[in-house]
Amino acid sequence: MDIRKISKKPVVLVGCFAVLNVVMYLTIHRFWIGGSSFLPLIGITGPGNKFLFAFIVNLGVIAGAFLGAFTSGEFRLRWPKRINIPKAILGGTLIGIGITLAPGTCTTAFVTGMPMLSVSSFLSGAGIFIGAYIMFTIIWRRI
Amino acid sequence: MNFFILCLLGGCFGIGLGYFVQRAGLCFAHGLAEIFMGKGKRICRLFSVIFIITAVGFLISGYISPDLGLKPIGQIRGSGFYNLLSGIIFGAGILLNGGCILGTLRQIGEGNMLFLVIFFSFIPGMALTVYLLNPLLESGYNIQKLILPGLLGVPAPWVTGVLALGAVLWLATILRRKRG
Repeated sequence: MDIRKISKKPVVLVGCFAVLNVVMYLTIHRFWIGGSSFLPLIGITGPGNKFLFAFIVNLGVIAGAFLGAFTSGEFRLRWPKRINIPKAILGGTLIGIGITLAPGTCTTAFVTGMPMLSVSSFLSGAGIFIGAYIMFTIIWRRI
Repeated sequence: MNFFILCLLGGCFGIGLGYFVQRAGLCFAHGLAEIFMGKGKRICRLFSVIFIITAVGFLISGYISPDLGLKPIGQIRGSGFYNLLSGIIFGAGILLNGGCILGTLRQIGEGNMLFLVIFFSFIPGMALTVYLLNPLLESGYNIQKLILPGLLGVPAPWVTGVLALGAVLWLATILRRKRG
């Protein structure tokens, strides 16, 4: 059994990711959230700096992704093409509305909320599926 | 725990989570697009693994400490219409960009600066909701916080057990099909 080969399998890696998510909850009694974590960008840090903490976790995620990409040789600095910027701003704004209207990002809904059996996360998950399907059909038709 | 130490630990956990997300190439926006194109086995497999481990872990945590266990998540508005609506808007946004929150953070870490533009574009959307829409919507909020066992009137271990077992069977079916 080649351990190096197994450790590169996505299923094993997401397994480690899930274990770390649980360990984080067990050790520091906080869970990882997505949406509200970005509220410090508009000056809202939440009760007991809850959102600020989540924002720092997400900054750590960027650092971790950099570490992973750098050590595997996948890091490449890519600058956006001007033509893609309006679409990115529109999409980002939609995400911004979605995450604050009723927090339920992919991270919150799929990674933390559904395993917590949170009813709102199941509803958010259904909404994400519907919204993504609508956008997919619009983009698909254009292509 | 001191907030500085808490943030330091949170940042370290974030680095670990980000590392595994990057190496696994996890992104739910890509996964949803794959599902719509009829090629969703990969994301279903990954989601099943995440669900099984996390659901069982969170359930067990409740027996380790009374502070832990199952809690309603992301329910500033409670459970109801706004979750669905925000999900629809968010879902449209992530598919337009080709990256969910995880995917966006991952792509920034990988050096894709387009996702930094997306990241900062959250600001006008969040400001619009918080400063303009929130005061208008507040009267219509349902603030009832619920987890599934409370809604169904069934003990949490049963709900987690059934869902986790379903995920295991689903995963086994996907793996069997893949091998076949």
